[in-house]
Amino acid sequence: MALLETRGVTVHYGKSLAVEDVSLRVEEGDVVSIIGANGAGKSTLLRALMGLKPVTDGEIFFGDEKIDGMRTNEIVKRGLILVPEGRRLFPYLSVLTNLRLGASLVEDKDEIEKTLKDVYRLFPRLKERRNQKAGTLSGGEQQMVAIGRGLMGKPKLLCMDEPSLGLAPIVVEAVGEAIKDINGKGVTVLLVEQNVHLALEVASSCYALQVGRVVMSGDMDTMRSSDVVKKAYLGG
Amino acid sequence: MNALSRFAADKTRSAGYGILVVAVILLGVIPLLMESLYSLHILVMVFFYVIAALSLRAIVISGQFPLGHAAFMGVGAYASGMAAKWLHLPPELTIPGAAVFTMIIGVMVAVSFSRLRALYYAMGSLFLGVAIIQILNAGGTWTGGYSGFSGITPMFGNSKVSWYYAALGLMILSAAALYRFEFSRIGTNMKAISQSHLVAESVGINEAKYRILAVAIGSFFVGLAGAGYAHYMGTIATSSYNFMATMWLFMYVLVGGVNNFFGPIVGSFILILIPEYFRSLKTYSPFISAGILFLFVYLMPGGFAGLIQAAVARVKSWRRERARDVAAD
Amino acid sequence: MEQVVATIFNVLILSSMYILVALGFAFLFNMLGILNLAHGAVYMVGGYIGFALINSAGVNPWVAILIATLIMAGFGVVLERFCFRPFTGDFNRIVMVGVGINVVLQTAVNALLGTRMQALPSFFDGYLRFGVVSVSYQRITIFLIGAALLVLVSWFVRRTKHGQQMQAISQDIEGAALSGINVHRVSALACAIGSGMAALAGCLMGSYLMLSPYMGDLMLIKALVLVILAGIGSIGGIFVTGLILGGLDAVAPVIFDGAVADAIPYIVVVVVLLLRPRGFFGREA
Repeated sequence: MALLETRGVTVHYGKSLAVEDVSLRVEEGDVVSIIGANGAGKSTLLRALMGLKPVTDGEIFFGDEKIDGMRTNEIVKRGLILVPEGRRLFPYLSVLTNLRLGASLVEDKDEIEKTLKDVYRLFPRLKERRNQKAGTLSGGEQQMVAIGRGLMGKPKLLCMDEPSLGLAPIVVEAVGEAIKDINGKGVTVLLVEQNVHLALEVASSCYALQVGRVVMSGDMDTMRSSDVVKKAYLGG
Repeated sequence: MNALSRFAADKTRSAGYGILVVAVILLGVIPLLMESLYSLHILVMVFFYVIAALSLRAIVISGQFPLGHAAFMGVGAYASGMAAKWLHLPPELTIPGAAVFTMIIGVMVAVSFSRLRALYYAMGSLFLGVAIIQILNAGGTWTGGYSGFSGITPMFGNSKVSWYYAALGLMILSAAALYRFEFSRIGTNMKAISQSHLVAESVGINEAKYRILAVAIGSFFVGLAGAGYAHYMGTIATSSYNFMATMWLFMYVLVGGVNNFFGPIVGSFILILIPEYFRSLKTYSPFISAGILFLFVYLMPGGFAGLIQAAVARVKSWRRERARDVAAD
Repeated sequence: MEQVVATIFNVLILSSMYILVALGFAFLFNMLGILNLAHGAVYMVGGYIGFALINSAGVNPWVAILIATLIMAGFGVVLERFCFRPFTGDFNRIVMVGVGINVVLQTAVNALLGTRMQALPSFFDGYLRFGVVSVSYQRITIFLIGAALLVLVSWFVRRTKHGQQMQAISQDIEGAALSGINVHRVSALACAIGSGMAALAGCLMGSYLMLSPYMGDLMLIKALVLVILAGIGSIGGIFVTGLILGGLDAVAPVIFDGAVADAIPYIVVVVVLLLRPRGFFGREA
């Protein structure tokens, strides 16, 4: 059984179609990526997964549970967590408070402290900056807070929406390492990226979205050798 | 738009014109049919409030919320009343003068806040409105202070029937002018702004200019309504122009339906006449107004106009289906 | 001297009451953008419930105030659940429902208790005297309760989990939902706390000044003044603007006649807003 499965998911923005009949599977332990240009419907799909945007058609399963129609906090509680596009931190709260708020649904205090230590180990920079307001950090550091906040909720599946957006190449590299590290600890990752190089580097399989539809899917070798991907994203 | 749907649109539009003509004729003959001067008095009030509600909507469709709009009605009322009483000017002169004066004050606020988000204009208008009320309260004998301003120069020898036709005429003229404005190119641009700031900017529409223009027009007409109303009543008080009064103007617009030009007209009639009908409930009668509000909030989100539109759409789809069925046969 | 001390106490009492009411309004306004036009009426009804319990049912004043606060906190939950939550993001309908609730509460009080001004009885008799100056225990108590509550609320918002969740929602509502925060539940809690504080302020003001069915309309505007002048998103700023407005309201009558004194604060507010349209501590660009 797949950890996450969408069956024929369709989402509208007002009257216009943003995601059409998308079916995808994410197996436990994998890093799956979704690539596609701006406006291909990637973010909308993630928002639909999280219950931030209602699906007009289709079903979403997480484990053996149907989660479409659930409220966001209920979905988060089941271990499906999104690190959103644009990070969406709480800019006037400290880094530490931002991280702790990510554990809003975790009851066990010791568990929270343990996860916090893990996050600090993954991003030592955050420990140094823990009392600073999140809004005063650099873009890369803010991305670390966003990922850290996601991890604090103890995800089974961590979705990341464009974590490399607006970051310097060397920071993108670090984000890639972090993703591998997170996956190594047993967390399944669904990575939505425009930066195909990053996606190809860390993912084991991949879906390509174009104007709301899945146009290609397969494991990384297939994708890498595909003419479509080469033409569209890798510059020939 | 293809020929068929244009034909359908024309048909609904001409039906609309038909209703409008009938309504105007009906309002025109009411004084001949009705004995009760009190009923005429209520209708005169409704006419003035229709102008005020329409003027409010003129600003709202530009994406702004003048939370002190009723105070501007007060500016018109006190300006005209004071000019007529203390300067002994004829009301025929002070009423339009007061409308222009109100417009100038409105524009001053709009200019100050035009570069900021709509919320700040809303608050600027609200607080200025409160300040205006308080200044009028502090005006001593000039404004009558808390006890109200009386002895405003009367017109038409205080004849209710004359006032009825004058107010009706003023309402129709104002409505026609505001209608022309809304469906002019300027009005269309203004609506575009309220829909999306970014789009409007990217096609080169000067946002601030249009917002100020909307406020100018809205303030002019609310000043006009206030001034006319003051000379009709003879006595006015600041409590008619406070924040809650503004909120009621908003209610007239929203109950009628903010997306339709005729919404404020219908809304004013509904929210003034229906509670008036239940006047015998005395202390309890405001419950009727509140009940109407809840009815619209929970059951008719588009206001009265939305209700009509939904009904029209349903009839149309029913007709279409029937036509299809007939064709299938 | 007598006058000076009395004025200082007026400033402190008015400021703390204004801040209590404004904070409750600001919670919902900052978190969800809800313009809660029923907030003033909640304040007014809180005062009348306290009055009715003491005068008609003979309840101990302290208990009466506590009951009034709890009743209106419960009402706040209902308000959030059935009047605001269904219309999140729909400014027009939230304004309509707020006006509707306002009318219902005012009319109910008018019908049940009449439009006559009423006052809550004193909880404490006697005066605290130092030298030539004396201050009634009543005023001291009102101020102390107000101040204690403000300290408590600031602590709650800054230090507790739910308080921080409230801050998170006002800073980024979607980020909050994605962190697993139950936005609806926290909003209901915020509305309950805000309504309870308003009701308590209503009781205290009812014993300090008088109760009137329309006192909520004026207080609502004062709350708006505090929130807007502080700057949208700023909770701490409300304490500063509360002191300023309380100061103006308490000092102006000492210098000017009644109606002029009422006008001065609002003229100042308009001037300040023209100079600093985004308020003193506003967070948005």
